[in-house]
Amino acid sequence: MTETAAPLLAVEDLHVSFPHPTGNAVEALRGIDLTIARGEMIGVVGESGAGKTTLARAILGMVPRPGRVTRGRATFRGEVMTELEDDARRAILGRDLSMIIPNPRGELNPVLTVGEHIGNVLRHHRGLDKTAARAAALDLLRAVAIPDPQRRLDAYPHELSGGMAQRVVIAIALACSPTLVISDDATSGLDVTVQAQILDLLKQLIRANDASAIFITRDIAVTAHFCDRIAVLYAGEIVELAAVGTFFDGPRHPYSIMLLAAFAYSAELRRHWTRPEGEEEALPPGGCSFAARCVRRKQRCLMERPALRAVPGGSAVRCHFPVGVAP
Amino acid sequence: MALARYILRRLIFVVPQLLGILMVGFFLVKLIPGDPAVLMLGPNATPESVAALRSSLGLDQSIVTQFGVYIGHVLRGDLGISWQSTRPVLDDLLERFPATLELVTLGLALALVIGVPLGIASASERGGSVRRAGDLYGLLAGAIPDFWLALVMIYLFYSVLGIAPPPLGRMDIALSNPPFVTGSMILDSLLAGDWEALHSVLSHLVLPVVTLGLINAGPILKVTQSTMLRVQASDFIRYAETCGLPRKVVRRQAIRASLPSIVTIVSVLYGFLIGGAVLVEIVFSWGGAGQYAVQAVLNADINPVLGFVVFSAVFSLVVYLLVDLAYFMLDPRTRG
Repeated sequence: MTETAAPLLAVEDLHVSFPHPTGNAVEALRGIDLTIARGEMIGVVGESGAGKTTLARAILGMVPRPGRVTRGRATFRGEVMTELEDDARRAILGRDLSMIIPNPRGELNPVLTVGEHIGNVLRHHRGLDKTAARAAALDLLRAVAIPDPQRRLDAYPHELSGGMAQRVVIAIALACSPTLVISDDATSGLDVTVQAQILDLLKQLIRANDASAIFITRDIAVTAHFCDRIAVLYAGEIVELAAVGTFFDGPRHPYSIMLLAAFAYSAELRRHWTRPEGEEEALPPGGCSFAARCVRRKQRCLMERPALRAVPGGSAVRCHFPVGVAP
Repeated sequence: MALARYILRRLIFVVPQLLGILMVGFFLVKLIPGDPAVLMLGPNATPESVAALRSSLGLDQSIVTQFGVYIGHVLRGDLGISWQSTRPVLDDLLERFPATLELVTLGLALALVIGVPLGIASASERGGSVRRAGDLYGLLAGAIPDFWLALVMIYLFYSVLGIAPPPLGRMDIALSNPPFVTGSMILDSLLAGDWEALHSVLSHLVLPVVTLGLINAGPILKVTQSTMLRVQASDFIRYAETCGLPRKVVRRQAIRASLPSIVTIVSVLYGFLIGGAVLVEIVFSWGGAGQYAVQAVLNADINPVLGFVVFSAVFSLVVYLLVDLAYFMLDPRTRG
């Protein structure tokens, strides 16, 4: 992927840490570098606790308390989101930069109807009056293919199925034609068939808007179908960053292979790339963050933290001994 | 219509609820030691006259029979006679209950006006001075007894400054009461167009209402504050923030989501204060229902005590019905 103009989103050396009662701050993000060009879709994969959601929130400029950005920044269209004033941030969020949340039935306001949810965003970001907002909301519900949209407009969140609520949240996110959409595990709670429908719809709508997207997910298969590039996140670091084709043809980081193996049928493959439990002992800090679980670790991995570096083939990988690369 | 059906269903439940409350009230009152017959006739009564009075009062029958007889009377609207005032309990309560109701209602209204905005303000500013002031207020309101505050107010505004009327009832003794219509002196004097009476009534209300308002704003403030803090940390408020909605709009959503808790604490306080405002009533010689009931308990005057139980039970049930209706309006999930 070549980048000619300034990227739409640039995350540079982003560090986020959470203070801990014992005094040792927990570093949720440890130097994330990532850029997204206009029209690009990027997948962020990793297990729970890797920092995926913290990354999304940091890009929105909304790191959950008591966490804070300790170093670096995220810049969206020239605005430093991580340092933006409250009001300036509110003007961008939901309009140019929007987020699709997981578990929407729990996150929609239980006392507001679908029409009020969508209408609120339309009224405040696009300045529509009540009638116009309602009409536009109806169009959006049609666009996300909700059955019987006229009636759903006055439905409350608890009256929606999970799939429908997810479509409503997508409608809210796309209401103002944003240039960047962040989808945080948006379909994880849904049936596989519904999940596929919604992801297809989402991709189609994002493409139609000529928008960019970040797909945060635990399901690496999702990224294969929807993304141009993949970033693998482990313990607050990007351990591998590659174009989708390159990544699936030849994953370089042992953790990427372990993730792929976890979805594979072959028990043999999984065993080969996963350390037996109990052997995942705690190691002294200072080395590679994946060393404790790595089947290929060597002495150097315990001593020296690897940097994210380009390897032949076009991937970037944070490993001293990338798989399939001659040392 | 769903709402009408809901109200009807609730009203049907009121009957067994009332019966249960009456039963518990009746047997509890009977547990109070002291024979009314002995108390009524005095220490020099002969055993024969005591026995005669007991039988004429029905006290020699089994307690279950007595309860049956009492329920029969209540159903006919007869709450018996108070032997202290020698008047029908119903008449006494109809006169005194509105006095308490007027006082408590205005006191709670003032408590809401103080407690809710302070609670909201102290929840929206993390660790700020408003928050600390709110915490301090909650602490003080919880620690200061209402009757003590009442005495301080009387001392300050009546004895020292002389701007409040003497704490002797609901209006100036020299004035004649407006004709009894609703029992609320404000409304009655308004209906009679008696401005002098209205002025006197209002000025007599100020100190007790302010006392109740200041004290009861404490729990309302605390509930508002803690609910707001919880709601502001909730998923849907965070979602509203990620949608970039203006701070004002997000705040309105948070307040809206906190309303059910505020309604709940107000209803609890309302039911409680009918009897719980008694010390303030005594300090201001208010002549309210709480004062009447306490006097009756001390004299083993059973009928007024039970009458008070009936009145406050009906009142509480009405309040709780209104609360449920409020929930019905506030939360679409209860309309299923």
